[in-house]
Amino acid sequence: MKAFLKWALFVLLLYVLQASLLPLIAFHGASADFLLLFAVSFGFIRGMRLGVLAGFLAGLLQDLLSGTFLGMNTLTKMLAGFIAGALSDHVFKEQMFLPVVSSVIAAVANYFLLAVLMLLLGYRFNLLENAEYILLPLIVYQLVFSYPVHKLTRQVNEWVAQEGK
Amino acid sequence: MGTRLRRDGHKKSRTWALLFVFVSVFCIIFFAAQGRFQAPVLAKSVSTVAAPFEKAISWVGSQLRYVTSNIWEIATVHEQNKMLRNEVDQLRIQNLQASEYAAENARLRALLGYKQAAMQFDLVAARVIGREADSWSHMIVIDRGTADGVKENMAVVTEKGLVGHVIEAGPNYAKVQLILDPRSSVGTLVQRAESRVVGIVEGDPANPTMPRMINVPKNADIEEGDIIVTSGFGGMYPKGLVVGIVSSLENDEAGLLKIALLEPAVDFQKLEDVAVIVNSREAPPEPLKTPVQTPGTETDPAAEKKAQEAQAAGGEEAVQQDAQVQAGESD
Repeated sequence: MKAFLKWALFVLLLYVLQASLLPLIAFHGASADFLLLFAVSFGFIRGMRLGVLAGFLAGLLQDLLSGTFLGMNTLTKMLAGFIAGALSDHVFKEQMFLPVVSSVIAAVANYFLLAVLMLLLGYRFNLLENAEYILLPLIVYQLVFSYPVHKLTRQVNEWVAQEGK
Repeated sequence: MGTRLRRDGHKKSRTWALLFVFVSVFCIIFFAAQGRFQAPVLAKSVSTVAAPFEKAISWVGSQLRYVTSNIWEIATVHEQNKMLRNEVDQLRIQNLQASEYAAENARLRALLGYKQAAMQFDLVAARVIGREADSWSHMIVIDRGTADGVKENMAVVTEKGLVGHVIEAGPNYAKVQLILDPRSSVGTLVQRAESRVVGIVEGDPANPTMPRMINVPKNADIEEGDIIVTSGFGGMYPKGLVVGIVSSLENDEAGLLKIALLEPAVDFQKLEDVAVIVNSREAPPEPLKTPVQTPGTETDPAAEKKAQEAQAAGGEEAVQQDAQVQAGESD
């Protein structure tokens, strides 16, 4: 329970930083998605089962706090945690390029999944034009913040593990 | 063998459970988008807890921005001063013309017995403490809620124009859906007197910085540069709030209608302070006054001095008249 509360506080802190501080450096309203980076990092560190759960809860928190389409972030972050968790056994977790490369892949996958959902919801738009506005800045921001967020997630994980002993 | 079978069984049931959750969340998205599913209690509880944190972090952010902008302003103050002086001169000329038009308007209204249509708003000032980074929806969180009289469906503005409307209000926060959000729709019309074409402004998922005005007939009188204001239809937004300027026009896919892309009046990238319209009513006509000029920047200092003297003399006369009236009443 104590570990869960610590993780919850960490996720809340990430969301608050994302919602309150990142808009200051946003480009056309697009900025980094810390919770997506967290879901991927957590999946890599703790495996598929907990990765899905963390992605689900982080996404749900984002949906509830932001007032966006309910369930969208829940679904995409859950998938991110699931895929990262499924791959976690096949990668060397200490490498620095892992969070950096995975952040770009996750951002692109997340973007296309959300775009498909928007199209299914009946919103019509030009995907290429939209990608230029949204996806490119998002990739740049994710690249910049992927390593710090991954490092922080690992530190919190170690802290929680030490406290649990 | 038995252990292996049990492990396989666990794996299978876990996969089914996961699939069930995925499908459920997928369905929730569609039900929620159609308004058939909501989680108001959960959303309000979580937002109420997060609002103080958002307020604190956004305060840090605003202080950072304040410091950096101050340094920039100091570096560019001389050039800015020159530009502002030029602008003041131009605005004074425009102001004189506007006063003429206002006087003419007042005379014509009196002549026609026309009902005063200008609105007066009761505003609650609020600070933006959070912004959704998701590019598909455009929401902000402000630091005023039901405790300050903010309720759902109230219009939110800045001094430049319309920002959006409140979709959820908690005790210490409110979520505002911006006019850039694809779910938002605002009844609008072209401000130009010869046109007055009506349409609906909605967020464009393809271009998150520019909303579009749809449902405009192909032969409608609308041009680039036209100012678009709220029409007041629907009752949510008061009439006359500036929404944006027509940036370009394009044909609808079906070919029967036109779409106008708008440059919003509000700079949504630098949205820090907003005001919620908690009440609006018809305003009484205001008497015309000469605007006070900043000392040292007067266009014509001699004329300004004369005007001030005349005003002071007018004030003394009015005081004398009041005293006479009072004396008459007491007699």
